[in-house]
Amino acid sequence: MNRKKDKGFESPRPYKLTHQVVCINNINFQRKSVIGFVELTIFPTVVNLNRIKLNSKQCRIYRVRVNDLEAPFIYNDPTLEVCHHESKQRNLNYFSSAYAAAVSAVDPDAGNGELSIKVPSELWKQGDEMKVLKVYIEFSLDQPKGGLHFVVPDVEGSMAERGAHVFSFGYQNSTRFWFPCVDSYSELCTWKLEFTVDASMVAVSCGDLVETIYTHDMRKKTYHYMLAIPTAAPNISLAVGPFEILVDPYMHEVTHFCLPQLLPLLKHSMSFLHEIFEFYEEILTCRYPYSCFKTVFIDEAYVQVSSYASMSIFSTNLLHSGMIIDQTPLTRRCLAQALAQQFFGCFISRMSWSDEWVLKGISGYIYGLYLKKTFGVNEYRHWIKEELDKIVDYELKTGGVLLHPTFTGGKEKENPTPHLHFSIKHPHTLSWEYYKMFQCKAHLVMRLIENRISMEFMLQVFNKLLSLASTASSQKYQSHMWSQMLLSTSGFLKSISNVSGKDIGPLIKQWVDQSGVVKFFGSFAFNRKRNVLELEIRQDYTSSGTQKYVGPIKVTVQELDGSFNHTLQIEENSLKHDIPCHSKSRRNKKKKIPLMNGEEVDMDLSAMDADSPLLWIRIDPDMSILRKVEFEQADFMWQYQLRYERDVVAQEEAISALEKFPTAASRLALTDILEQDQCFYKVRMQACFCLAKIANAMMSTWTGPPAMKSLFTRMFCCKSCPNIVKTNNFINFQSYFLQKTMPVAMALLRDVHNLCPKEVLNFILDLIKYNDNRKNKFSDNYYRAELIDALTNSLTPAISINNEVRTVDSLNPDVRLILEEITRFLNMEKLLPSYRNTITVSCLRAIRMLQKNGHIPSDPSLFKSYAEYGHFVDVRIAALEAVVDYTRVDRSADEFQWLLDMVQNDPVHYVRHKILSMLAKNPPFTKAAESSLCNEALVDQLWKLMNSGTSHDRRLRCDAVNLYHTLFGLTRPSCLPLPELGLVLNLKEKKAVLNPTIKPEQGSGGPELPPAVVFTSSLEEEHVVMEPPLGGMVLPPQGLKRKAETPLASPPEPGQVLQEEPVVKGGIKSRFPTQEEEDIDMDTVHDSQAFIYHHLSMLDRPSTPGREPPTMEQTIMSMPATPIPLFSKESTLSSKHGGEHHHHHHHHHHHEHKKKKKKHKHKHKHKHKHDSKDKDKEKERDSHTFSNSPASGRSMRSPSLSD
Amino acid sequence: MLTGERSGGNKTSTSPAENYYLARRRTLQVVVSSLLTECGFESAEKAAVETLTEMMQSYITEVGRCAKANCEHTARSTPTLSDVVITLVEMGFNVDTLQGHAKRSQRMVITAPPVTNAPVIPKSLVTGQKRTHPAYIPSHFPEFPDPHTYIKTPTFREPVSEYQVVREKAASQRRDVERALTRFMAKTGETQSLFKDDLTAFPLIAARPSSIPYLSALLPSELELQTLEETDSSEQDDQTDTENNLNNTIHDDAGADKENAVLPPGGGVPTVKSNEENMIDNPYLRPVKKPKVRRKK
Repeated sequence: MNRKKDKGFESPRPYKLTHQVVCINNINFQRKSVIGFVELTIFPTVVNLNRIKLNSKQCRIYRVRVNDLEAPFIYNDPTLEVCHHESKQRNLNYFSSAYAAAVSAVDPDAGNGELSIKVPSELWKQGDEMKVLKVYIEFSLDQPKGGLHFVVPDVEGSMAERGAHVFSFGYQNSTRFWFPCVDSYSELCTWKLEFTVDASMVAVSCGDLVETIYTHDMRKKTYHYMLAIPTAAPNISLAVGPFEILVDPYMHEVTHFCLPQLLPLLKHSMSFLHEIFEFYEEILTCRYPYSCFKTVFIDEAYVQVSSYASMSIFSTNLLHSGMIIDQTPLTRRCLAQALAQQFFGCFISRMSWSDEWVLKGISGYIYGLYLKKTFGVNEYRHWIKEELDKIVDYELKTGGVLLHPTFTGGKEKENPTPHLHFSIKHPHTLSWEYYKMFQCKAHLVMRLIENRISMEFMLQVFNKLLSLASTASSQKYQSHMWSQMLLSTSGFLKSISNVSGKDIGPLIKQWVDQSGVVKFFGSFAFNRKRNVLELEIRQDYTSSGTQKYVGPIKVTVQELDGSFNHTLQIEENSLKHDIPCHSKSRRNKKKKIPLMNGEEVDMDLSAMDADSPLLWIRIDPDMSILRKVEFEQADFMWQYQLRYERDVVAQEEAISALEKFPTAASRLALTDILEQDQCFYKVRMQACFCLAKIANAMMSTWTGPPAMKSLFTRMFCCKSCPNIVKTNNFINFQSYFLQKTMPVAMALLRDVHNLCPKEVLNFILDLIKYNDNRKNKFSDNYYRAELIDALTNSLTPAISINNEVRTVDSLNPDVRLILEEITRFLNMEKLLPSYRNTITVSCLRAIRMLQKNGHIPSDPSLFKSYAEYGHFVDVRIAALEAVVDYTRVDRSADEFQWLLDMVQNDPVHYVRHKILSMLAKNPPFTKAAESSLCNEALVDQLWKLMNSGTSHDRRLRCDAVNLYHTLFGLTRPSCLPLPELGLVLNLKEKKAVLNPTIKPEQGSGGPELPPAVVFTSSLEEEHVVMEPPLGGMVLPPQGLKRKAETPLASPPEPGQVLQEEPVVKGGIKSRFPTQEEEDIDMDTVHDSQAFIYHHLSMLDRPSTPGREPPTMEQTIMSMPATPIPLFSKESTLSSKHGGEHHHHHHHHHHHEHKKKKKKHKHKHKHKHKHDSKDKDKEKERDSHTFSNSPASGRSMRSPSLSD
Repeated sequence: MLTGERSGGNKTSTSPAENYYLARRRTLQVVVSSLLTECGFESAEKAAVETLTEMMQSYITEVGRCAKANCEHTARSTPTLSDVVITLVEMGFNVDTLQGHAKRSQRMVITAPPVTNAPVIPKSLVTGQKRTHPAYIPSHFPEFPDPHTYIKTPTFREPVSEYQVVREKAASQRRDVERALTRFMAKTGETQSLFKDDLTAFPLIAARPSSIPYLSALLPSELELQTLEETDSSEQDDQTDTENNLNNTIHDDAGADKENAVLPPGGGVPTVKSNEENMIDNPYLRPVKKPKVRRKK
């Protein structure tokens, strides 16, 4: 734990940014381009500020001026292509660390940036006097692939009539994609934003709209925004389009924007926003920090909700009319989330990435409070349970989520999360799923803190943070005060201890500084003689993703005489806990039984054990530990718990436990719950599915009509004719949800032949037939969609006679009926589309299910047509899901290729993201299984995708990494041929042999054909292929500085590759700008060093005295003149060779020192060589050069930095 | 001969319609012709056949008349076989040869003439009571036409009030309409098929991408709007409200601000309730300023 006590904020930059102007003069929708300039006002904090590093990606930079003087600059972005030079290296370990290193190299929180500006020497003096510098940068964006998204529908008319719009987006700090800035959450400044747009368009951005002025030709107008509250660049956004404007009728400072024609929906959807405002302002006792708020609804959104300073951008698909039931709570939730993030996330920003959890936690927590208030305690507790289950499942599956990673320089070998295939050091390297789970855990931990210090104190803390920040924000000219608006973990904890006086250190240590959840197993016995409950609680803290819990745990015991809470202490070695019971068993049969909430109820006690007074037992009922509990109690206890415990979480736990007890008593308990209208509807919905499972397990003893049928008939069908459902009336939402769910659950019933009973199928078909919505106030599209889902659930595999081709004639008559309905629904949808095309979505799923079960021929073409751009996004996702599934089941290489092409080319970012995540979830093959799909070309393609193809979208890149991990694992994909020449290092025996699969060849090794070394760890059964570039590739020559420390006599390690390649140097050159400040580069070097160190340390088992742990320096070869040692000639690593190696090494060392000053030139030479060599890579590199070009072109002409 | 006799017997009992007569005549002709063929004739003149037919007819008529007379003579109304036999004997026919003739080997069978049903003469429609002339109309005036020509006759059937039947009907009617409509659409447009062998089974209307897919997916369809109007009138009021206000706003703006006339409608024009506009001070509703003269940037 290296959280220092109340450490103030220390900027990693040698200057402080105070104000920034962003001016976008021209937005061309036709060409999808943007032209503008920025002007940053900075105060140097060091004497002789000669270099300014800024963030900028994909912008074409025309000129940079500092205080009206032309300034030279270098533009270099190592994340464009993570691993340079076409190496045959294909393992993910290697990629992940290289990627982390690349991200670090431009990380503003480390003071780095893609754009390095040399301050003209004329101004250096001025720096001494700490004068202000104004950095003016002209830039343009052409067809941006990230940062800004243009939506230009292909119809007739002007851009406004077509509904063309553009908006900014990104994952975490991604503002650098659309204008040069300091893209850090911790660098705050005030803003002036100007956007000149077509007269028919509206530009919405952060801050106050000061004025709108026409241009001289009256064809365009300029929107002038001022943002006086210091704000970080990642919280700046823009949306331009022909928006319809709605001023909130309750709060005139709030303005809503939507695309043309959607105004009625906007009015309805926004009609309750003021309630959310009121709620937050009330609990935080703090006014909304900005003077205005804007909501913009746009198409093709990156995420559903994204919050920026004083505005939020939402997906237009959240809008709905008053007839839609299901979408309403979802939209309200999204709005509440967005607004919570306005306070914590936008107004109060984070100090560093490792403090992210505090902001996500607080905004998630107050969002939860809103849920509790608006949707009720049941909904809230249900949501908490859902989130808890999610995080527990995820952590147990993947090995843990760490909220507060601490990184101490140079100790990277203590990777806090070795179980993950990505680095958690940067938000940009995280997998999306991990990030979602991170947020989920953050708000759950906040709730744990609330449990500890009470909600009152919690809200006081928030209020304190907000008032501190708002005081700081009003200090217009004291930018040093602005760091008060940044929140850090230590600052937050200090506030908590100040306000509450309580020490929450252990809690933080357990859940924040450590990853993993707790896994409890509980069982009990009742000791009649002592009238004592003997409870045993065991823990599993050895499996991945778990941790050991020591501390208090609450246990609630419901006895005949009432409910009693006990707090037990979980300690190291105590498993058993004795809990004295209050009641003797069954003294008075007639007495009512008091419950936890004071209610007294009559119970039929005949089911219970006559000797025991225990009705049920709950472990940690308040969910005050992040845990999974597997508790064993008798079936009748679960049934009592389901019937009489009033907590929805307990009821849901009981329902899932009852699945294991298919008895008549369970059936009765579930049916009773189903019928009780006072019971929470989500519990009842869950009971439906449990009942279906129990019915299937009880198949032979089941009596009466199929489960739920008579219940449904009683509740929803006509009295006079029970086979006909009443005309729809969804005024009671609880019964609406139940009505939707019951058929879906019923369709899961199976008879002895494992088919859906005919009676049930006909029942569902009748529901569809008699469905009548004419008199309903609400739309029935979700209901109909669920009826189709019910049909889908009723499907069972077709009886296949020797794999004949499925034809119309061979269709099962029941399936024919189903298909008839689906066809009709799908066709009707074309004529009368339903809200969000829910019916098409369900139909597509049904068709895929029919195909999968062999009723109709398996064919992806229908889905492919629905997956095309131009369909509603939900439909596309459903269709793509079917194609993904088809790819897996039919192992189709064509479809897989088609999907990957779409990932590369689709205009909608969300769709691309979904394809990859669906592929990772439902992979066509995994590393465990052989597959014909797995071949070298695919590896190359995916590698290219994550290496360079997704540099514009970090989320997508991480998705690609995920998929690669799912398909091939961490190591070199097994389908790749072994490198042509290679050494196999047997780690166990610590000796290297020539790759036995390769015949020794004579002297074929050369610069172009590098020898490769294969590490084989027989222990782990994994192949780490280390190729020559590994040694040099991520290591800039600066690393050689340390060489002096290396004892000259140290013998070489087996893994060392004596290889110098011009290619390698070229790679280094473009990734790391030649610079005088080597310390900055060294930061990035650290990672790569660490990585290599990590690998080499696998060899690090010094058994002989002469052998020392390998050091970085030894692996560095940077002299092109060095002859290439021909490994291929060696069958083992001889000591002679080692000596030779050392010789080269030594030689090089001196050489490098001498050459240092010529470095720049030197590298150019290499680059030329490199270019001429890699002709086939030229194309790929072109795109790369393109984005680089203005800068690199400039640097040629402008005075060189290294002069 | 038997055939001929039967048709002769028919003659007395059936109504003397012209076509019956002709049919009989034709049958007789056939009989004669076949007898001639039996006797070895290969062809005969039409006149000869006609004569023979006439003779045959007279003979049969005579047999019938005599048999009738014999029967009435014995105070009966229906002739018996013996009446016929006596008649034949009286006419000099050797009855014994009759059996041999009937069983002859080369006998030709002649089918009975097609019995066509007598055309049913439609009864004149009788509805209500035929009106007689009132006293002031002289009786020589034509009668009133049939009442159905001027009396309104409500065609009224007992309505089906049974709930189940109504629902059933509504459901199947809607289903039929939907099916017919979708089939029609599928037949007239591009389709996709789930089966490769039979492209017409379960035709699906082809998925067609739209340029602005969210509009149709989010906006309620006309049908839904209609239902909404029927069920809830308050919503409807709200909508008309908006329209009115929208018009007002545009109108006001146009009056106040000339620039707005240049703007395409629906673009930069704020669409907010005009009655509130005075109170609301929202920067997005403020008019766009004209550029300052030569403002150097």
